Amino acid sequence: MQISPDEITLFQFGWLHINATIFVTWIIMALLVVGSWLVTRNLQSEGPMSRWQNLLEVLVGAIAAQIREVGSRASGPYLPFIGTLFIFIAVSNVLSVVPGYVPPTSSLSTTAALAISVFLAVPVFGISQQGLRRYAGQYLQPTFFMLPFNVIGEISRTLALAVRLYGNIMSGTIIVAILLGIAPLFFPIVMQVLGLLTGLIQAYIFAILAMVYIASASRTHENIEGKGE
Amino acid sequence: MIIDWYTVLFQIINFLVLVFLLRRFLYGPIVRAMEERERKIVAREEEAEARTRESEEEARAYRQKTAELEERDRELLDQARSEAEKEGQRLLKETRNRVEETRQRWQREVAREKEVFLRELRSRMGRQACLIARRCLKDLADAELETMIWNVFLRKLKALSPEESGPLQEAFSREKQVLLSSSFEPAAKRLEETAASLEEIFAQKVQLAHQKDAGLVCGVELEVGGYRVAWSVEDYLEDVEKEILAHLEQSEKEALPDAEAG
Repeated sequence: MQISPDEITLFQFGWLHINATIFVTWIIMALLVVGSWLVTRNLQSEGPMSRWQNLLEVLVGAIAAQIREVGSRASGPYLPFIGTLFIFIAVSNVLSVVPGYVPPTSSLSTTAALAISVFLAVPVFGISQQGLRRYAGQYLQPTFFMLPFNVIGEISRTLALAVRLYGNIMSGTIIVAILLGIAPLFFPIVMQVLGLLTGLIQAYIFAILAMVYIASASRTHENIEGKGE
Repeated sequence: MIIDWYTVLFQIINFLVLVFLLRRFLYGPIVRAMEERERKIVAREEEAEARTRESEEEARAYRQKTAELEERDRELLDQARSEAEKEGQRLLKETRNRVEETRQRWQREVAREKEVFLRELRSRMGRQACLIARRCLKDLADAELETMIWNVFLRKLKALSPEESGPLQEAFSREKQVLLSSSFEPAAKRLEETAASLEEIFAQKVQLAHQKDAGLVCGVELEVGGYRVAWSVEDYLEDVEKEILAHLEQSEKEALPDAEAG
């Protein structure tokens, strides 16, 4: 029994080998991009609009609303990053109802990649929002001696982010596989429904946490200013 | 190994590519469409609000105008009514005046006709009276009366004052002709007497012609070259008639102002 889809190699060109994780990710990317393109190539800003446009507007609107709720500021710069995190993870997890599908999020490599992206995005957004000095000074709060702990906290939460998603999705897949062996009828379906719910919740948690980290890196600025006054 | 760093790198790249592509194909267009719709809705709402305001303004203006028009209508109507009333009063007054005038004219006309009739009646009565007198005298005329008439004439002739007889003499010396008219055929004796009287007046011989004139009522007339000496009841009657008519005229003049005033 294979635990990770990384170990399933589909193509091999010299040193370049494409495993199931990468391949499925590409398929999901293709689905998302082509679907978005099909819907958004003729958008209506007036009068009746297509259901797909309505769906995407609801989705994007909800994500933007969540970002505003957490970051309490304009959603514009964060929307593509946070939105893509949510949509990619949600689609990856929901597609697990397809038989034979192995979600790329059940690979620790994928979740680690996403977590590293968040880990990198935090300083990028932080610096772009409040400048390098202020952002760096954040690690010296409340005193200089807190620097190691702040850095460790940064890394550990990234690790937690990766492992949380990986554990939840991987466990769901494995539980279904095990249950199929024990009780092949009905029960796996219930677990799969549960898995869908878990998958969506995990996508939400991942995106929200990423936003919280980014917002905390950007919001300090306001706090410092508030104290200064 | 649980984490395959080769795959991690691939997935990071995949994720960043996906972020870029979705930003290009999903978020950008959708957000733009939503913003545009919001903008359009806001614009439409503003436009609707502006239109509502405008229409309210217009409605208010129209209401005001209508009220003004009604007010003016009412004023005009009132004015027209009062004018019509005034005009009616005026016409009524005028009509009354005209009726009054017509009535007065009729009254005057009637009065005048009455006057004319009365005058006519009076003059006719006067004339009739004279006519009766004439007829009476004519009927009464006989030799006795004629004699008396002739005597009277002769007396008058003899009693002519020098102022009266002067022109007579002048006329005689010019014409040498004396015409004697009478309403009856005089006796020759009378003619002689008359001729003698005339010779006395003119102090010379007189050629006397005679003619009968029925127009003279119980009278005698002597004419010399347009100059005339006469005595006749007609004269008296004429005098009487003249007097009567003068009297009537006088009374008419007195009566007429009363009728006009009435």
